Amino acid sequence: MITAGIDIGSITAKVAIFENGKLLATKVIFTGYNAEAAGLKVYDEILKEKDINKSVIAKIVSTGYGRNSVKFADKSYTEIMCHATGAHFLNPRIRSIIDIGGQDSKAILLDDKGKVKNFVMNDKCAAGTGRFLEVMARAMEVNLDEFGAMSIKSKQPSKISSLCTVFAESEVISLIAKGEQRQDIIAGIHESIASRISSMIGRVGIKEPVMITGGVARNIGVVHALEKKLGMKIEVSPYAQVNGAIGAAIIAASP
Amino acid sequence: MNKLAYFDTSHEMPLEIIMAAGFIPYKIMGDVHKSTDPADKYLSSFFCPAARSWLTEALAHSKEWAGIIFAQGCNNTNRHYDIWKLHVETPFLHWFGAPLLDSAAAKKYYRVELQRLISHLENQFDVKITAEKIREAIGKSNAIKKKLKSLSSLRSQKDIPNRDYLTAIIKCLTCPVEEVSTWLDSEITLWNSRPAFPSDKKQFLLTGSDITYVEWMDTLDDCGIRVVRDDLSVGERFFATLIPDRNDPLEALIEYYTGIPKPATRPTIQKRLDYLYQALQETKADGVLSQNLKFCEPYAYDSVPVNNALKARGYRVLHLERDFSPAADQQFANRLMAFVEMMDGGNNG
Repeated sequence: MITAGIDIGSITAKVAIFENGKLLATKVIFTGYNAEAAGLKVYDEILKEKDINKSVIAKIVSTGYGRNSVKFADKSYTEIMCHATGAHFLNPRIRSIIDIGGQDSKAILLDDKGKVKNFVMNDKCAAGTGRFLEVMARAMEVNLDEFGAMSIKSKQPSKISSLCTVFAESEVISLIAKGEQRQDIIAGIHESIASRISSMIGRVGIKEPVMITGGVARNIGVVHALEKKLGMKIEVSPYAQVNGAIGAAIIAASP
Repeated sequence: MNKLAYFDTSHEMPLEIIMAAGFIPYKIMGDVHKSTDPADKYLSSFFCPAARSWLTEALAHSKEWAGIIFAQGCNNTNRHYDIWKLHVETPFLHWFGAPLLDSAAAKKYYRVELQRLISHLENQFDVKITAEKIREAIGKSNAIKKKLKSLSSLRSQKDIPNRDYLTAIIKCLTCPVEEVSTWLDSEITLWNSRPAFPSDKKQFLLTGSDITYVEWMDTLDDCGIRVVRDDLSVGERFFATLIPDRNDPLEALIEYYTGIPKPATRPTIQKRLDYLYQALQETKADGVLSQNLKFCEPYAYDSVPVNNALKARGYRVLHLERDFSPAADQQFANRLMAFVEMMDGGNNG
């Protein structure tokens, strides 16, 4: 049986195709203004690329903030459930997930069967999310993809005391004006995210092994800052960004 | 008959005195669809948004009301009375100092406050509030409470959207008693004829700040949550108990209003918990949804010990903070849906 999982996030739309317990393909595109169109596009493109006929897709499950705009999905689930399912598939030993997406961050605790035991999400605030990093990258005039690599060169991370995206941006501009090293400021930004996330995680209590998922998992600087702050190793899957879509495809395959 | 409006953060206002004075008691609940800009001139944005909405309503509509009575309730909004005194045009503004406690001394004080309210109304409106009129009002109040109780009990048995229940409560708090009484009779018949409780919904007890707009209740429905019990003032607290039958109607009111299930603005937390435990024993709920309106400090402070106590008894509790807005909040809905999915045991293939 072939199933599809579609995860419409605030920044990117992801799709995963599953066949008989095996991951066939994944794809990521920008969501843009129209979530419904993004869902259709990412789905159509992956089917075309892999030469799969729509008629062979037995079931589609959507997830993410735009899950309800995927009108052709058979069912939708929250990304909490889908990330749990995806992470359990990628590594059944995982007991905690830190998911940092474009507009929110979450900590999810799993039991030994991969079921969600508890979860916590950030408040309505961009701090500690991918959007925060985007704003900072713009202030630093650095491509977001280079953020992680630059920060690990830092010897002395700057101190970013404000947790609010708007005020943190002002603080970063002040640090630039003071002449602090770019890599130090970026490392400081990552530490401020780690600080925010670790406080949130403290509300549910983290259990090892820990996996990070979501688009921000691609930023090695954030991962290092989190490992330092939490004092534990964090597993990063190459499928971190599409983990929610993978989970959705697995759920679609379940009875 | 004129409406006499009241500012009440809980269920502290002795409505029967207003009725005995010949007025329709009208609970000020604001309008979530209207901007609070008029009130924001006098109250900063870090104050309770519901209270800012109430002030906005009063600034626009106070002239349609015979007067306004403030009942002592939440510590954060009690002194809004002074702001209203300065800025809301009304021929009658009264402070009703409903005591916080239910001790013998508090009850004695309650009687003084009732008599002060009666005198003020009698002098202002040239009416006589007799014991007989109060008894008659008590009878009408109790009839409404009985009907609401009967309606409310159908929530766990029939397919009753959350908004229908809230609509019924709001109607009872804002419309003439006679009109409401007839309407409730037809609603009871209608609700009884509805299909059985839907199998795809979870039964929840709702606690925390008052909900005053139906859109929020719709969000719960959209997330698979049906509120079958609650301890809200715009809810069960209003009809959980009946006004006792006493020779002295003031004694009956004192007994009733000092004995109703406690909100977060009244001690003790244990008394509040006792009602929650009782409700959860009477009605099997899948979970408890604890929510507080942003800047609603009494409920925010209470939420930790209350939720911990419920969790200690094995209840599944989700606590959320919400905005005062009719707009759909996807992040909020996500938490609700994930909690419901978690209750279903997830589905990880």
